[in-house]
This record gives sequence, structure tokens and C-alpha cells, in this order.
Amino acid sequence: MEKKAKLTEQKGDFAHHIGGQQGVGRKKKHLEERRDSLAAGLRAGNHAAAAELVDIYYEQIYLFMRRLGHSCEASEDLTQESFLQAWQHIGQLREGKALNSWLYRIASNVSKLHWRRHKGKEAVGIEGFEVPDSSEADPDEIGRNEELERLKDAVRQLPRKYREVIVLHYMQHLTIAEAAEAAGVRKGTFKSRLNRALKALREQVI
Amino acid sequence: MKEENLENLLNELAERTAEQARPGLAEDIKQQIPQRLTTHRGGMNTVNIIIDLRISKLAAAAVIIIAMILLASFFGGRDSTGGIYQESKLFVRYLLGTGKNSALTARLTYEHLVEKGIDVVYYGDSIDREDSNAVLMQWKVAEGRYKVLFSDLREKEVSAEELIRLQARMLQKKTK
Repeated sequence: MEKKAKLTEQKGDFAHHIGGQQGVGRKKKHLEERRDSLAAGLRAGNHAAAAELVDIYYEQIYLFMRRLGHSCEASEDLTQESFLQAWQHIGQLREGKALNSWLYRIASNVSKLHWRRHKGKEAVGIEGFEVPDSSEADPDEIGRNEELERLKDAVRQLPRKYREVIVLHYMQHLTIAEAAEAAGVRKGTFKSRLNRALKALREQVI
Repeated sequence: MKEENLENLLNELAERTAEQARPGLAEDIKQQIPQRLTTHRGGMNTVNIIIDLRISKLAAAAVIIIAMILLASFFGGRDSTGGIYQESKLFVRYLLGTGKNSALTARLTYEHLVEKGIDVVYYGDSIDREDSNAVLMQWKVAEGRYKVLFSDLREKEVSAEELIRLQARMLQKKTK
């Protein structure tokens, strides 16, 4: 039940990334309309729509690349490549298809190609929080930070396909349906990968 | 660790590792986006995708050609461009090993040339297949110039004089 509520909440991730909490219903409708008009503009080959797409999504895609384990420089290049690919393959954006999962799918493929071309390259952990000085910080907070640090390492060490499902669903906040589409797998496959990834993480973190 | 705890931790990790992108990255990307959409080269993209699957270029080419053959067969075994179907078949035969399939390849080549309206002289079974320099077929390409296909499926453009020499050599061998 709680999970269901969480999924419903995540469905409005476009709103989640752009908007605030007030007047969510009205704002969500407005954003959905904006997303539709953006998709229509993109399909029409409108350059301004492409620029708007970049403005809305570049941070998300950059972060997605970083979380997948690419270095800062590589993430910037791959983000750029993702948008160029999206623009070149704009004809594949079908009406009614979620804009963000389509874009994430492209970004995911760009990332996979990069890994294939650079076989043996290690995943880079993303810079995160610093564990506070033990003399100043609350012991509970220190414990929590250490747990997060262990989790961060465990995510980095996951096989790529498991890391991707964790990043898409828990870090980029895509719904199961959107994340499955972005990963290019069926919902069932995605869920089973997610379960395996969580199991692996649990074993590592405990 | 409970499932819920792990999910909460992942969400917290996501929040706390939300690294900022470099200011100006968006502008850099926008500048790279071409003003006008150009038709992308679908064929080359397909080749690149297959090559990116980490199979060799030759295998990638074979995959594409087999796909073309299947499509062509599906639509009645012929294509509107003329020749691609036959050429694909020849290429596949070639990839599969010319030694074993040389007779079939030669036959396909002959049929293909005839279909293109070229006047081909085919020597067929009258030649010694073991002799790699035996002329299997010949056709005229320009005034005084001929294309020759040898029994080992080598192709060579020769002059009229050279062709006569090759034919004479074949006749001599036959009479021995």
C-alpha cells in the first residue's frame, strides 16, 4: 500500500524535479501540458523546444551519468551526446510516449556504448557528503553517514545492469514503468533486477 | 536490514550526492545542437549499432545482408533496386566459403549478369575446375576490354589479346 502510494507520487516526477509542493494538482496539469507541447515542438523539429529540453533535463542526465559511474568529464560529454542523439532521433519520439523515459533510454544507451568502447574502465564513485568530525557530530549522525558511505560503495560495486536499475528508480526517481522503459526491459524483468540489486546491496551493507 | 530502510537510505544517498553540473554546460550543449534537423544515415547507424555489439565488421555485414535477403525473400525474392538481392546472395556464399560453393557462386554470378542484360560467355563444365587459371566466364566491358572470371572466382579485366591467349591455353590443355 505504502509502495503504491510512493509509485503514484513518483509518477509526477516531472513536477517533482521542477515544481514545488503547493498547488500540486494544478501545477502538475500545467506541467503535463507543457511537456506535451514540448514533445510536439520537438517532433516538429523546433530548435527552441530542443533548447528547452536541455534546460529541463541536463542536470538530471548529467547526474544520471555520474551515478552510473562515469567521471565528471565523461559525464559532461555523455550528457551532450545524449541530447544530440535525442535531437537526431527525434522522429522516434512517439505521441503519448513519456518524454523523460525516452530521453533516459537514449542516455542509458549512450552510457552503455561508452562502457563498451572503454572496456576495463572502472566505475567512478560520485563525490558525496563528508563524514563529519567525530568530536563535533552527533554519534547517530556519524553512524548514519557511515552507513550511507558503505551503501555508496556498494552501489558503485554493483554490476552495471543492477546499478542502472537502482539509479533509475531510487536516485533519478523514475517510476517502475518509466525506469523499465528507460532501461529497455519489460516491467517484470526490471522488477526482478531491482530485487536482485537490492539483495546484493543488503548483503554488502550489513 | 529492512527493505524499507534500504530504500530510505538509497533515497537519502540520492539527495546527498546530488552533484551540481558545471554552470554553462546547458549552454555548451545548446550550441552543439544543430539549428536544422538533417536526415540521419539510417544505414550507417544500423551498421554502427551492430558493430558496437562487439562483433566483427565482417560478421556485422553478414548480419545486415542476411536480413536484407530475408526481407527480399519475404517480398517475393526480388527487390526494386535490382541486383542487391543477387549481390547479397553472392556475398553470403562468398562469406560461407568459396571453395565449397564455387559452382553455386559461379552460377549465381552468371544468372546475375544475364539478368543485368550482359552478354556472358559461360564455359561451365567444359573447363578443368582444378585449374585456377581456367576461364569460367567472360563478358565485354568496353571496346577491346573483357572481364574474365576464373574457376577460382578471381575476376580480372583483360585485353582482347590476353583473352585469346587465355582461351588458347585452355584449348591446349583440353587437347592434351
